[in-house]
Amino acid sequence: MFENATKQLRETVEAALPELNTVVGWRAGYDPLHMTPVFIKNAGDLSKLEWSPFCVQNLSGYLVKDPAVRAQDPSKKIGICVKGCDSRSLVALIQEKFIERNQIHVFGIPCRGTVDWRRVMKLGPLTGIQSARVEESRLVVEDANGGHTFALEDVLARKCLRCAHPNPVIHDVLIGEPVTPRVAVENSYGEVERMEEQSLEDRLGFWKKELDKCLRCYACRNACPLCVCQDRCIAETREPRWLTQRVGTSEKFLFHFIHALHLAGRCTECGECERACPMEIPVTLIKEKLNKITLELMSYEAGMDPEAVPPLLTFNPGETGL
Amino acid sequence: MRIGVFVCQCGTNIAGTVDTQEVARRAGNLPDVAYATSYMYTCSEPGQQEIQRAIREKNLQGVVVAACSPRMHEPTFRRAVERAGLNRFMFEMANIREHVSWINNDREANTRKAAELVEMAVAKLRFNQPLFSSQISVNKRVMVIGGGVAGIQAALDCSDGGLDVVLVERKSSIGGKMAQLDKTFPTVDCSSCILGPKMVDVVQKDNITLHAASEVESISGYVGNFTVEVRKKATYVDWTACTGCGACIEKCPSRKVPDVFNENLANARAINIPFPQAIPKKATINRDYCLHFTKGKCGTCQKVCPTGAVNYEMQDEIVTEQVGAIIVATGYDLFDASVYGEYGGGRYADVISGIQYERILSASGPFGGHIKRPSDGKEPKDIVFIACVGSRDASVGRPYCSGVCCMYIAKQAILTRDHLPDTRVWVFYMDIRAPGKNYDEFVRRAQEEYGVQYIRGRVGKVYPKGDRMVVQGNDTLLGVQVEVEADLVVLATGIEASAGARELAEKLRISYDQYGFYMESHPKLRPVETNTAGVYLAGVCQGPKDIPSSVAMGSAAAAKVQALFSRDTIETNPQVALVNERVCISCGKCIQVCPFGAIQWKELRGGIRKAEVLPSVCQGCGLCNATCPPKAIQLQHATDNQILAEVNALCA
Amino acid sequence: MSGSNSVPVTEQGMKIVGFLCNWCSYGGADTAGVCRFKQPTDLRIIRIPCTGRMDPLFAAKSLIYGADGVLVSGCHPRDCHYAVGNLYARRRLEVLKHFLPFMGIDPRRFHYTWVSASEGQLWQRVVTDFSEQIHQLGPNPGIGAESEIFEKLGN
Repeated sequence: MFENATKQLRETVEAALPELNTVVGWRAGYDPLHMTPVFIKNAGDLSKLEWSPFCVQNLSGYLVKDPAVRAQDPSKKIGICVKGCDSRSLVALIQEKFIERNQIHVFGIPCRGTVDWRRVMKLGPLTGIQSARVEESRLVVEDANGGHTFALEDVLARKCLRCAHPNPVIHDVLIGEPVTPRVAVENSYGEVERMEEQSLEDRLGFWKKELDKCLRCYACRNACPLCVCQDRCIAETREPRWLTQRVGTSEKFLFHFIHALHLAGRCTECGECERACPMEIPVTLIKEKLNKITLELMSYEAGMDPEAVPPLLTFNPGETGL
Repeated sequence: MRIGVFVCQCGTNIAGTVDTQEVARRAGNLPDVAYATSYMYTCSEPGQQEIQRAIREKNLQGVVVAACSPRMHEPTFRRAVERAGLNRFMFEMANIREHVSWINNDREANTRKAAELVEMAVAKLRFNQPLFSSQISVNKRVMVIGGGVAGIQAALDCSDGGLDVVLVERKSSIGGKMAQLDKTFPTVDCSSCILGPKMVDVVQKDNITLHAASEVESISGYVGNFTVEVRKKATYVDWTACTGCGACIEKCPSRKVPDVFNENLANARAINIPFPQAIPKKATINRDYCLHFTKGKCGTCQKVCPTGAVNYEMQDEIVTEQVGAIIVATGYDLFDASVYGEYGGGRYADVISGIQYERILSASGPFGGHIKRPSDGKEPKDIVFIACVGSRDASVGRPYCSGVCCMYIAKQAILTRDHLPDTRVWVFYMDIRAPGKNYDEFVRRAQEEYGVQYIRGRVGKVYPKGDRMVVQGNDTLLGVQVEVEADLVVLATGIEASAGARELAEKLRISYDQYGFYMESHPKLRPVETNTAGVYLAGVCQGPKDIPSSVAMGSAAAAKVQALFSRDTIETNPQVALVNERVCISCGKCIQVCPFGAIQWKELRGGIRKAEVLPSVCQGCGLCNATCPPKAIQLQHATDNQILAEVNALCA
Repeated sequence: MSGSNSVPVTEQGMKIVGFLCNWCSYGGADTAGVCRFKQPTDLRIIRIPCTGRMDPLFAAKSLIYGADGVLVSGCHPRDCHYAVGNLYARRRLEVLKHFLPFMGIDPRRFHYTWVSASEGQLWQRVVTDFSEQIHQLGPNPGIGAESEIFEKLGN
C-alpha cells in the first residue's frame, strides 16, 4: 500500500527538484525494517527515495545541524520530507528563526504511524530479515525462519500511538490524503498521567532506575532537532561548568533536567531523543510532561503556529494563578 | 588566588550572637584563603586600613568582608580595596548582620550560618574577574515631567544653572494644584502672587522648552542618554498663532462646560483658557462639549479668532526629545470624598471639598472671592470643617497622613473669619499635625485669635435639615455626642497618587509603593533619587508634602542633575552582559527578551551573525543570561560559574 | 562545611538555598534584619540582580545536589526594577514547580514568591513558613550521588 505513496512522492519531488538545492528524504537502510536519510540532488537519485512506516527519522534537524545542508546555494530552496510530527519541528525552528519559511520547500506526508523496530524485535526475535511491509493493520516480516505477522498496534512507536497531529501542519505539497488523528492533544498525555498517579517516592525510584542507565552519550541531544547548541551544550562545557565528568546519578539527573528545561515550551514530541537512546530510557516522557504543563498553564502547544512566541520567551503581565 | 577574609564584629551587633573568631578560623581553612581575621568595626577608618595593610603585606588578590548588607557598605569596601591597588570587583561581602546576627539569637546556628555564607562568598570570589568601567557622554538636557510648583522650581533651577530644560505638563497650563489655591499657610501669602512670577519665568527663559497639554508616551535609553517621546495632544488651536485674547471664549455658545479649574463650581466654555494667569495663555477646545465636534454645526470660534488660530483638524503630535536626566514631578490628586457616603460629599451641594472651598475663597474664583454656599449663594453663618477625609483611615485604603490638611483647614478657617467675622467655624479633627516652621503657632492663632472651635473627634454623619446641614459627631475630649448645624460643610480631602502615576512609573522603570507614590532610592539618604540612574523625584509624587518641601525637593532634584551634568562623561557600570562569540549559536533569544534593547546582531564575515551587547544600554538584569541556552552570554559579576560556585559551596 | 560534618543533619538545621533579587527581596530581607524580625537559621541567601537572572536550572541543581529547600523571591509583578524580569521568571519558575514532582522531587521543597524592599514583616513570614515546611518534610532524600551502574562496572 505504500508503493503508490512512494511513487507519488518521487513524482512530486521530481517536479520540484529543478528549483531546489537538495531534497532531504528517506531511503532503504541496511535491512527492510530500517530506513536511512538520503539527500537527493538530481533526478538520477530519485529512485532511492522511499516512503513507508519505517521512515522514522525526523529529518528537520539536518536543516540546522548539517553544515553540508546549510552551506548550499542560498538562492535555491531546500526540499524536505516531513511527517506530521516532523513538520512541527520545522515550525518551531521557523519560530526561532533558525530557518526561514521561504528557504524551504516542504513535502508533507500524512502519517498513520511509524514502526518501532525495537518493539518488533522484542515480539519475535528475527534474523536475516528479507522483507517487511505494512498491510492494513498488520506488519508482515519475512526472515530466515519464514513469515511473521504482527498487529500494527503492537509495533508502532510509542509516540505514534498517542499522535494528535498526523498531518503536516505546514507543507508546500501534501502527498496523500489527510489522516484522522488518533487522539485530541488534551487526551494524548495518558502515560504522563499514569506517572502522575504514582507516589512521589515511586516516581523518584522510577527515574533513578531509568536515568541511572544513562551513559551521557548525548545521543538524545544530538538527535533532537531543537537542541541547537550542539557542541556548545552546557552539559559538556567548562565555561560555564554546570556538570562535571563524574559518573553519578545526580549528574545524570541534572543533564536530563538541562535537556528537558531547555526544551520546555519548545519540544514538539517527535520522539527522536527516545528513539536514539541506546539504553532505551523513556526520555521523551520527560518532555511530554513539560508540554502538558505549558498546555495547561499557558494553553500553548509547541510547533503549531510559525508566528507564535514560545511561552518561556515571553510573558503576560496580567496572567494570574501563576 | 590569595584571598583575605575579614569578619566584622560590628561592635556587638554581630559579635553578640555570632562567634566571629570562629567564623574567621573556619574561613582560614577554605581553599585559596591566605589570611582571615575578625575585627571590631571593619567599616571604620582603622578597619579599612587593616584591610589595605593586609592586601599589601599578604599579597592578597581578593577580599571577602563578612559584615552588614552589601546594600549598606559594598561601595565603601570596594573603594577601600581599590585604594590598596585591587580591582574593586575582586571583592565580595557576606551579609552576616541583617541576614544572621539580627534575626536569630542561637549563637551556634548563627556561627555555622555565618561561616557558610563566608564559604559561599569565597567560592564566588574565586571566579571573580577584574572589571573596568568605560565612559559614556552625557546629553546635558534635562526633562521635567509635571509643571506644578515642584516641577517649575526644578526647571528654573536647572535653567539658572545653564541647562537646557524640557518641561512637560499634562494640562494646558502649568501651575499645578498651587495655582488653584487662594492663600498659602502659614504666611497667608497670595498663592498666585508667589507662583505667578515663577510661571512667567518659565516661558521667558530661552533654555526652557515647554510642552503643555502633553504627556510622556514612551521612554528609552539610560542615564545620560534618554529618548523620550512626548504626545502633544490636539488642542484644536494653533498655539503659535493664539494670542490668548479670549474673543473665542466670549462668543462660544457652549456654556455648560464644567469648569475643572474651579472644581466644577462654575461653568466654562467649550473653548477655554483655564485661568487668567495661565502659562501658556492659550485656548484649548474641549471636544466633549464643543458643538462643532458634538453636533457638527458650530464654527463660531474659528470665525471670531483674529489670528485664524482655530483648527478643527488638528491631530495629536509625537515629538521626540533627547535628554540626559529626568525629573519626575507629577504631583497628586485629591481623595474622592464621595467614598464616605455618610458625609454626603458629592450628594449635597453644601458639602464641598477643601479645594472647592479654596476656589470659593479666591478672588479669581467662581464667586469673586465672596464666601457663598454653592446651593443658593447665601453667605454661610456656620461652617464645619471635617479633617482626615481620606487620610489615616485604613478602611478606605488610605492609612497615611496627607500632611497638609490640618494646616489648610486652619488657613481656611482663619480666612473665613477674616472675610465674614460673624461666621462661626467648627473643626472636627483626629489630631493636629503641625510640625513645620511656624505651623503650630498658626493653628493656635486660628483657635485663640480667630475663635475657631476645634472639636477632637470623628464625625459620624452629615445630613440635611431644612436648608442647613446637621453634623453629628463625637467630642472625645469631653466624651459627649455633638451636633452642629451648619450652612456649609468642608471636607478636608487627603492626598492620593496622581491618576496615571503607575503607568508613568512603568515607562520610567521606577518603583512605586502600594498607594502609587514613587519610591525614592533610600528613605533617609537618597530621598530624591530613584533606583533608575538619571531619574529623580520632586514634590508630592514621592509622597504627601507641603509647598516648601515640594519646592525644596524640586531644587534638590535640580542640584542632583547639575551634579550629574557637571562632568562630560559618566562611568558605566561594568556589571553588564558579555557575549562569548565562539559559544553564541546565533539563536537571538537574548535579543528577543532583553527589556532594554541592549543586545543587537553583529555581522561577522561570511554572513555569520552573533549577539552583541551595548554595554551603555545594558542595565545588568541578567535575563539574557538565564535565557541563553549555551550560556554564551554571561552577566559579568553574576556569571553562571559564580552563582554555581555559591550553590556548590552549599550543596555539592 | 569544614568541621561540622559529624553533626547530624537535624541538629545542623536544614539546607535552604535562597535566590533573592537585589532590588526588592534582598532589601526586604535586610529590612527584616534591621527590624530584628526573628527568623529560622536554615536559609542561605544568594544575591542575584533580578529574578529574570534566575535560570530554573539553579534551583534544579540545588535540589538534585541535596538542598532541602529552594526559595526564590523577587519584586512584585509590575514592580520589577528591570520592568519585566520577574514576569519571565514567573512563567519559568511555575513550570519548574509543576515539573519537579514528575521527576520525584517534592514540589514543596521549592517556593517562589514576591517580597518588596519595604516588606520586612512579610519576609519574616515567608522565611518562617517555608523553613517550617522544610523541617516538616525533613532532609531531602536526594538523588543519591552514586550510580549503581557505575558500581557494577567497578566491580
